[in-house]
Amino acid sequence: MSRKNEISKILEDELLQKVTKPTRYTGGEHNQVKKDGSQVDVTMAFAFPDVYEVGMSHLGLRILYHLINEQPRMAMERVFAPWPDMEKAMRSRGVPLFSLESRRPLTEFDVLGFTLQYEMSYSNILNMLDLAGIPLFAEERGDGDPLIMAGGPCAVNPEPVAPFLDLILLGEGEETLPRVLQTIADFKSETAFPAGGADCGGEQVETGAASPQTGKAHRGDRSRRETLLLRLAAIPGVYVPAFYRPEYEENGRFLGTKPMRPGVPEKVKKQIVTDLDKAYFPTTSLVPFMDVIHDRVMLEVLRGCSRACRFCQAGSIYRPVRERSPETLKRQAEELVKATGYDEIALTSLSTADYTCVEPLIKELIATHAGQKVGLSLPSLRVDAFSVDLAKEVQKVRKTGLTFAPEAGTQRLRDVINKGVTESDLMETVESAFSSGWTGLKLYFMIGLPTETEEDLEGIARLAEQVVYKGTAILREKGIKKSVRVTVSTSSFVPKAQTPFQWEPQAAMADLEAKQAFLKQRLRDRRISYNWHDAQISFLEAVFAKGDRRLAQVLHRAWQKGCVFDGWSEFFRYDTWMEAFRECGVDPAEYAYRAIGYDDPLPWDHLDFGVSRQYLIREHKNALAASLTRDCRVDSCAGCGVCPTLGVSIDLRGGDHVPSPDRL
Amino acid sequence: MFRVRIAFSKQDPVRWLSHLDTQKAFERAMRRAAIPLAFSEGFNPHPKIAFASALAVGIVSFGEYVDIDLAESVDPEAVKERLQKAMPEGFGIHGVKAVPPGTQALMAAVNRAQYRLRAPLQEPFDEAAISEALTRSLAETSWLVEREGKKGVSTREIRPGLFQLSGSRTDDAVLLEMLVQTGSEGNVRPEEVLEAVCRYGRLLVDRERVRILRLGLFVAQGERLLTPMDVL
Repeated sequence: MSRKNEISKILEDELLQKVTKPTRYTGGEHNQVKKDGSQVDVTMAFAFPDVYEVGMSHLGLRILYHLINEQPRMAMERVFAPWPDMEKAMRSRGVPLFSLESRRPLTEFDVLGFTLQYEMSYSNILNMLDLAGIPLFAEERGDGDPLIMAGGPCAVNPEPVAPFLDLILLGEGEETLPRVLQTIADFKSETAFPAGGADCGGEQVETGAASPQTGKAHRGDRSRRETLLLRLAAIPGVYVPAFYRPEYEENGRFLGTKPMRPGVPEKVKKQIVTDLDKAYFPTTSLVPFMDVIHDRVMLEVLRGCSRACRFCQAGSIYRPVRERSPETLKRQAEELVKATGYDEIALTSLSTADYTCVEPLIKELIATHAGQKVGLSLPSLRVDAFSVDLAKEVQKVRKTGLTFAPEAGTQRLRDVINKGVTESDLMETVESAFSSGWTGLKLYFMIGLPTETEEDLEGIARLAEQVVYKGTAILREKGIKKSVRVTVSTSSFVPKAQTPFQWEPQAAMADLEAKQAFLKQRLRDRRISYNWHDAQISFLEAVFAKGDRRLAQVLHRAWQKGCVFDGWSEFFRYDTWMEAFRECGVDPAEYAYRAIGYDDPLPWDHLDFGVSRQYLIREHKNALAASLTRDCRVDSCAGCGVCPTLGVSIDLRGGDHVPSPDRL
Repeated sequence: MFRVRIAFSKQDPVRWLSHLDTQKAFERAMRRAAIPLAFSEGFNPHPKIAFASALAVGIVSFGEYVDIDLAESVDPEAVKERLQKAMPEGFGIHGVKAVPPGTQALMAAVNRAQYRLRAPLQEPFDEAAISEALTRSLAETSWLVEREGKKGVSTREIRPGLFQLSGSRTDDAVLLEMLVQTGSEGNVRPEEVLEAVCRYGRLLVDRERVRILRLGLFVAQGERLLTPMDVL
C-alpha cells in the first residue's frame, strides 16, 4: 500500500471520527483542484500555519491556489495546522502531515510554501515541519527535502524565522510565484533534482556533512539544492536567507546584514503587480463545508492605502493604491457567485470606502444580486457619514454590524498617528448610524501608542459615552425601546517594521495592563462592553515584529517546550516562552522596548519595500510634532519613494475622480 | 410556493459534513444550479430547507431526503439534473419529486431507519457464534443503553425500537443489518444496537473502528415500508 493510501485508510477508519470538525482535514470542497502529481513538472503545498477555518479565510491562498493550478504543468495543494486533538491523534498513529487534495505526505512535494500572516503563528510553522518529518533548519535539509518557502506580510521582517526557510518571496506573489515554480521545474528536468520522492533516508543524518555555522548535520548531499537556490536568488523579489549573514559586534550590537555570495543582490526588492485591473484574479473559489471566518465571495476592489496612518504596516507595504475597474469587478462578482453559490460578496481592501465611485459600484452590485438574496458586506469602513450611507445601502439585502476605528481618544493623539478623523466626524457618523436603524456599534482603539497619556485614555472612555448618549437620545426620539449597545475594543500598539513608528519602543506590558484596567474601570456603563487584547501576546508580537535571527533559537526552544497556536489565548503559554528566552540567553525586552536610533542598522535593512528611510524618519518627526500628512491620492505626493523605486504609480479606475470633502 | 423532495446519498468525503454543513452545501449548490430558492421574511432571510432526519457525522447514507421550497415551479427532472452537477463530490441526487400542498412534513412522516454496521471482531468468532450472540441478545426483552446528552448521561430502553436485526461475519468483522425507530417517536442509534448485542450477546468488537452505513429512511404504514418518495 502506498504511503498515501495508508494515510487515507487510517484517516477514514480511525482519526476522523475521533477529532472535532473533521472537515478541516478531508478536502473535497467544491472547486477543489485535484491533479495527478505525475502529470505535472512541479508541485507545491500551500501551508497555512493556523487552523483550517482561519487559513481558508485568507484571500492570498484563494488567489494563488487557482493561479498556480491554472498552469497545466504545475500543481498546488493545501495544508493547514492540525488542531491539537488531531495533532495528537496523528502523532500517536505515526501519520505524517499530509495535503488535503491528494493526502500525500508533504515530503513528496517539491515546495512547501508558508504564509507569514502574523508573528504568533511562527511556532506552528516549526510544528508543521516536524509533523511532516522535514528537518526544521534550512541548513539541515538536503537535496531530498522539499524547498521551504514563505511569503506574506511578515516577510517585511522575516529574520526571526529566516533560519528555517530556504527562500522568501517579498511583495505580491502573483507574478513571482509562477516564475519561481517554473525555475524549479526547469532545474528538475535538467538535473533530476529529486525533491518529490526523497531518496535520502533518516540514517544519513549521521553521515551528513556538518554545517560550519552551527555544527548541525544535514541530510546527505545538498549541492544541487545550493545551485538551485542561487538560481532562484537571481529572481527579483526572492530572498534566500542562507546567502546573507547578519553581523554583530562583540557586545551583541547588530551591525547589519551582508550578502555572502557573489551575484546575490545587496538588497532584495519586493515585487508588486503594476496593473491590478489586468492582474490575475480567480473566477472560481473553494467553498468550504464548515464555517470559516470569512465565508463569502471575497472581491478585492483595490490594493494599497494612501491614508498614511503611521502605525499601519499594511499601509506602508502595499503601496501604491491600485484599483480594479468597476467593469472588471462586476464581472468577477457575477462569475464568483455563479461558481460558489455564496450568499454574500465582501468588497475587500484596506479601505473599501476609498474606492473611487464606490457608491455606484455598490448600487449596481446590489441591483444584480439582490434577487438571489446575495448580499454585500464592507469589512472596512471609514469614520464618516458616507460610510454609513454605504452600509445602509448594503444592509437592504442582509443586516450587518457596524464597526468604526477612531484608533485614539483625543484629537492630539489621532494627529500623532495621522488618523484623519475628528470628533465631529465620529459623532456625525454615529448619529447617521443610529438614525438609520442601527442600535449598536463597535469602536476600535489602540492603547500604548507613542506619546499616549491618561488624557488620551480618558478620551476613549469619553467618546464611548458620548456615542452612547447620542444613540440613546436618537432611539428615544424615534420611540425605539431597545437599549443602545456600544462595544469598545482595544488592541495594544505593536511597532512594526517599515512604518514611521519602527524606531519606537512598545509600551511596557505592565503599563498596557494598567491602561486596560483603567478603561475597564472607566467603562462601567452597562450599555458599553469592553474587550481588550492580551498584553503578553502583544509583547511577544512586538519582539518578533522587530526581531533578528537570534530569535530563531528561542522560537525553536519554545516550540520544543510545547508552544503552538500562540495566537490562541487558550494555548498561549507566556511563562514557557519566557523560559525559552532565558535558556537561550536572549532578552526579549531588548527587542520590544528599545528605542532605536535613526542611524542604527535594522534587521530588515537589506529588504527593500520601496518606502524610503528618509520618508519614514520625516513621518516619525511629523508624528511627534502632531503634524498631519495628507493622502497622496487627493493631495500632493508625500514623497514616500514607492512609485519611483518600484516603477509604478497610483492607479485609480473607479471612475472620474472627485475628491470627497471629508477626506484629508 | 413550490416544494420539491429530493432523495440523495452522502458518501466520501462529504460523510464528514455536519447537519448544518449539509444544509449549507444544498443552499449553495441550488444557487450554483440557478434553481430559485424561496426565502423566509425578515432581516436575515434564509432558505427553507428541511431534512428528513439528521445524519450523524461520519455516516455514509444511501437514502437521505430533503424538502426544499422554491420561489417558482421548476420541472423536478431539471432540478435533479442541474443539482447533481452543482453538488460537491460525494453527494448523489437520486430523485426529485414535487411535493403537493398539504403533504405531511417530511420530518414528521419518517419513522424508520435502516442501517448496516461493520465492527472489527476482537476474538475469532465464527458465523455460528455470531448468530448465537444475536439469538441470545434478542431473547432479552429489555435493552438498556446509556446515552450522553446535554444534561449528562441518561439510560434509555431501546429494545422496543428495534424492528429487524440480522448479522453475519465478513473478514474479521461482524456485519449487522437493522431496522430501527427514528423521528419524533424516538431515535435508536445503530451503535447503541451494537452496544446491546455486545453486552447481551457477549460479543467482543473494536468499538473505535466501527463503520456505519444508513441504507434508507422509511415511512412505516402498518406492515408496509414506504420511502418518503413513495408517499408522494
